[in-house]
Order: sequence, then C-alpha cells, then structure tokens
Amino acid sequence: MVEKKVKCPQCGNIITSSGIPGEVVPVTCPECGKKGKVTFEKTGSSENVAIEAINLKKVYGDLAAVDSISFNVKKGEVFAFLGPNGAGKTTTVEMIESIRTPTEGTIKILGNDISKYFDKVKDKIGILPQEFLSFERFTVRETLVYYASLYKNKADIDEIIDMMDLKDQENKLYMNLSGGLKQRVGVAISLVNDPDIVFLDEPSTGLDPKARREVWEVIANLRNKGKTIFLTTHYMEEAEYLADRIVIIHKGKIIAEGALEELISNYGEENILRIKNCKSKDIISILKDNDFETLSEGNGDIAIKIKYKEQILEVLSLLKHECVDYSTIDIRRSNLEEIFLKLTGAKLREAS
Amino acid sequence: MNLKFIKTDLYLSIRSWLRSKGTVFWTILFPILLILIFGAIFSGQDDIEYNLAVQNFDETDLSSQFISIMEESTFFNITTVNKNFEMADYMQENDFKIGLQIPDDFGETIQRYFVDNNVSVNITYFTDPTEQTTGPIVQSIISGMLNEYNNIITNSHNVVGMDHESILGEEFDFIDFFVPGMIGFTIMTSMVYGSIERNTKFRKDGILRKLLTMPVTRYEWIFSKMLFMMFLSFISTFVILVFGILVWGLSIQLNIFFFIIIIATSFMFSGLGMLIGRFVRDPETADMAGGAITFPMMFLAGTFFPLDQMGAELQVIAQFLPLYYVNEALRNAVIYNDIEKTFFFMGFVIAFAVIFFTLGVVFTKWKED
Repeated sequence: MVEKKVKCPQCGNIITSSGIPGEVVPVTCPECGKKGKVTFEKTGSSENVAIEAINLKKVYGDLAAVDSISFNVKKGEVFAFLGPNGAGKTTTVEMIESIRTPTEGTIKILGNDISKYFDKVKDKIGILPQEFLSFERFTVRETLVYYASLYKNKADIDEIIDMMDLKDQENKLYMNLSGGLKQRVGVAISLVNDPDIVFLDEPSTGLDPKARREVWEVIANLRNKGKTIFLTTHYMEEAEYLADRIVIIHKGKIIAEGALEELISNYGEENILRIKNCKSKDIISILKDNDFETLSEGNGDIAIKIKYKEQILEVLSLLKHECVDYSTIDIRRSNLEEIFLKLTGAKLREAS
Repeated sequence: MNLKFIKTDLYLSIRSWLRSKGTVFWTILFPILLILIFGAIFSGQDDIEYNLAVQNFDETDLSSQFISIMEESTFFNITTVNKNFEMADYMQENDFKIGLQIPDDFGETIQRYFVDNNVSVNITYFTDPTEQTTGPIVQSIISGMLNEYNNIITNSHNVVGMDHESILGEEFDFIDFFVPGMIGFTIMTSMVYGSIERNTKFRKDGILRKLLTMPVTRYEWIFSKMLFMMFLSFISTFVILVFGILVWGLSIQLNIFFFIIIIATSFMFSGLGMLIGRFVRDPETADMAGGAITFPMMFLAGTFFPLDQMGAELQVIAQFLPLYYVNEALRNAVIYNDIEKTFFFMGFVIAFAVIFFTLGVVFTKWKED
C-alpha cells in the first residue's frame, strides 16, 4: 500500500489517499466535496525502468527509518531523493546499493531482484557513498586505476579525467585536493566501469557554493551522457537545478513525488508579487476593489497573490494610475522549500 | 581470484607507503631504535665496572695487596678515600653507592693468624640502601674475592669448583636470545595497528561501503592487504637482523621455519587486529584497545625479559599469550636449533594464526546494520 498526497483543484486542500501501484483510487475532497481520482503509478518492471523499490521498509528497534515506500526511477533521468537529515534518504539508497538489508520490500535494478542477483548488477552501477574519502596517498590517476582494476569492463581513464575536468589534477595526491575536487574524484571513481546507473549520496554536502556549483555541472554533464542518476540531497536548490523527477521524503515516508513543475502545480501556492515600502495607504483597498487578494505585511510592504500572468500588468497599471510611490517590486513563485513547509509544517533547513 | 587487482593493490600500497616519509622513517627507525637500545643494555652485561670507594686504615702491605687484587679484577674502578673523612659522608657527597673500609688491624690480624689460628678481622661494606640491584651484586663479588684471599693466606685450595658453559654454545650472546622476541613484538604491533586502520578508518571514509558494491570479495581484498602487511613485516625483520649483525655481531641461523613463523605471525596478529576493528569501530578507541592488548602482551610473553624472572602466576598467564609461542618458536628455530621444540611452538603459532585470521575474516563486516 502506497500513500499519496494530492491538492484539490477546487479549494487547494491537500488530500491524502492510499492505493497500490497501478491502481486508480476515487477521492472526495473533505473541504469542498469535489470528487476526483488519484492514479498510483505502476512500479512493475518495464524496459524503461532502471530502479524499482516496492514497499521498502527498514526498522531499527521501534523506529521505522524507512516506512513502506515505493517508487521507480526511469532510465536516463536524474532522480532526486530530497529530504532533511534523518528523513531516510541514505538508508533508502544504501538498501538499493545492497549496503543495508531491507526489513521488508523488494528492490530491482535493471529488472534484477538485488536480494538474489546483486552480483549481476555490480558492473552496471557506480556509487559515490555519503562523506566518501579515498586513499590519501594515491594520485588522482592511481585512484581511478585502482578502482578500475576491479572491473572486467572498464571505461577509458583518460576520458573520465577529461570529462571530470581533472587533467590538471591527475598527478596530485588525493590528500592534497580541495573538498570540491575530492567530490569530483569521487564521482569519477563511480564512472570507472562505465555504469548505466550512478548513485550520488549527498554529493555536495559540506562544499562551498562555488565547489557545489562545480559538482552540479559534473552531474548535469553525466545526465547529458545518458546516465541514470539517483541523487540524494537535502539542498532544494540542487534538486531544482538537476532533477527531472523529485521524491520528497520525510520521517521515512514519501510525501510528494513528481517533476518540479508538477510539485509546484500540485502543492505550491500561487505566485506572489511583493511591493516594498509602498507610500499609499489606499492602495490595498484599491487592489481589493479590483479583485486582488492582498496580504499586508507591515511597514508599507504588500504581498499580492497572482493567479495568472496578466494580473502582473494590471497591478503595475494600477500603481501607475494611482501615482503610488514604492521602492521595489519582485515576483516569486513557490519553491520546494515552501512545498515542504506546506506538507510537513516544518522548514526543510530547520528539519535538517 | 582477481590477480590484476591484487597486483595493483600491492603495487599502489607500496608506492603510497613510500610517499609517507614519516611512516617509512618510523617503520625502519623503530626496529633500529629497539635493537640499538636493548642491544646496548644486554650486550654490555659482561663489561660492567662498579665505582668503589675504599678507605684503608691499615698501613701494612697486606691491605695494599688485597686492594690490588680487587683493582686487577675487571669489576671495580677504585677511588681511595682519605683516612680523615667520615666514610658515609664522603660517599654521599661524592655520589658513591658502594664502599669498603679496611680496619687498622687488618694486616696485624693476618700476621697473628700464623701464630693463633682463631683470630679474625672484618672489613666493612658500605651500601646505599636505595640501590637494590648493585649492592647485593657487589657484595657477592667481594665475598668471592675474600674467599679467594683467605685461601691464599691459609694456603688452602678449593676442592670443589665450578666451570661455566653456555647452553647455547660458544657463539651465542644474550642479544641473540633477545632478537627473536623483538621481531615478534615488531610484527605484532605493525599487524594489529595496520588491521585496525583498515577496519576503522576505511569504514569511516566509506571505502568499505564502496568496495561492497564492487566486484571484489572480502577474501580477495583482505588477502591483497595481507601481502602488503607481510612486506612491512619482512622490512622490519630485515632491519632488525641487519643492524643486529652489523652493530652487535648477531649470530642466528636463518632457516625455512623462520620464514614460516614470520608469515604465520603476520596472519595471526592481522586477524587479531581485524577482530578489534570489528567490535570497536571508532578509530581512536580501536587504537587504544589495540594498545591495551599488545602492551601487556609485550611484557608478559617473555619478549624483553626472560620468563623465569617473573612470578609463577605470570608464567602461567604467558602460556595463554600468542606472542609467547611466537617468541619461543623463533628462538628454537634460529638459536637453539631444536627442531622438536620448533615444531611444537610453531604448531601453536600456526593454530593461533588459523583461528584468529579465520575469525577476523568471518567477523569483518562490510555491510551496515
């Protein structure tokens, strides 16, 4: 049984529904009574599926670190597993990588049940574990040669070095590299067998913004090479920038799933137009008279909900017409942080 | 068995080791320091000379003759103390631990002996009571010399004497006995700490998790690491032997048993390190646990001090320590050349190696809970 939350298209209320993969479940909004259907995506094997997790559960004592979650990852996509620290991301990815044994559930990689056939898929996957550090006194090239020597089919080391932009670093000792370069080498190691699927567990955690950006570029480059990427992160910007599909996990349960636009459309608020330091006292009533929903934020700041793009021009016309003085205007759409807040009542950063 | 990986692992491990100048320095210097320091302690035992203060109140040639006999022995460096000094004060002020006072009737009493056989005279032996080792040793040396002197005076001779012969043959010194223990100890420390590092630091750094997802078995990886660790064992052993021979004239007989024992010892202590690393996961705590196990074993297994100098209880404890069997096996193999005992102790070493290494491999877990 899988849980899914959907937003009522009429009143915006969030409805929780349960079903099994492949099932279409009828639902009624408890707030406005609108009826609809919720589709639970089929997680069964198909040619296009790289990873399937079915009813995955991991229990430590009384605590369910991962609580019966199901999802699939399509071939060639960047799939982001987003959630705060302790949400169950690493436990999940390590169960898929066969580092931890699930309490319950089934995992298939490229159609192979890994509880029986993990050895078959070892050649097809590349892994960057969380907080990974390699051998200190190997050079970058030696590190790649070392790990490549484990595989029968291996990628061209020179190609990987070029792809990861490590040519200038190849003869440097690993211990002398910066944090960002170490992570790049970590990603490079995960490619020595030319894998179909790459698992990157929190690849940019602990890096400065510049180094983080560099790692993102490396991951984007991998996507362009057609690799399937399973990315765990607690950075919403990372998921927004890189992911084709995002799963949000909280307290071991999946609370939302879909492409970024789908998540915003399903769970996000309307765009907000914010006027800073507005001098007119009457503007709020004028906006209300023109059917705008406004939220006064004090000190002359006004926030206006924008339901469709044309309303932006209407607001600007009104301000011009009424000769209203103000300092700045900005328009912001909902992001994953707000969606997480709406679904859990906690901020992603605070929950981390 | 992925021989290509094992070859790459060994080659890169050695290169990596050579790049760490500090590690290379200590891997080589540590055994050198051991052989030089302990060699100096044990090799110099025959040449010990004691500083002896002698105050002579007697004015005859007989007392001078007695002092000359003591001077001619190699045991004493004699300083004559003026009659006007208080002997105890002089010794304290001039840092003498042992002293001898010859009374003024020394010569006279000896001369009277030839008329009256019942007379006797005592010389006084001064010692510093805090010096518990030197005092009794010198006392027995002087007693022996007095006996000899009495024999000369009384014109008698010893009917029963004593010849000394080394059970190890003429060519062996104490340093030859000591070196096998040092080799065993050096291998023990490098193997235990090396294994602990593999099982704690590599776990912390995610290397073991990564290897779990790659086409390599635990057995292949541990085997390749063992090859590197044995390389280190032989480096340390080689250094100890070379310095022992060059500096102390070490004479031991290398044979096939010696190499078998070195290899088995490497596996034994590597297995012990794996077990420690398995159950104590924090690297710093595991290092301390390693020290807690190896440090007492160093003293209790007859490594630096002969077992018969220890109490009976401690000698029983030694029988349960793997290092004891390593020390005894090496000594019997390369010094006593006793094949029967070599097989006996080597059998224990091999049995310990099989048990510890098997348990280490079985209990080493790459998987997380």
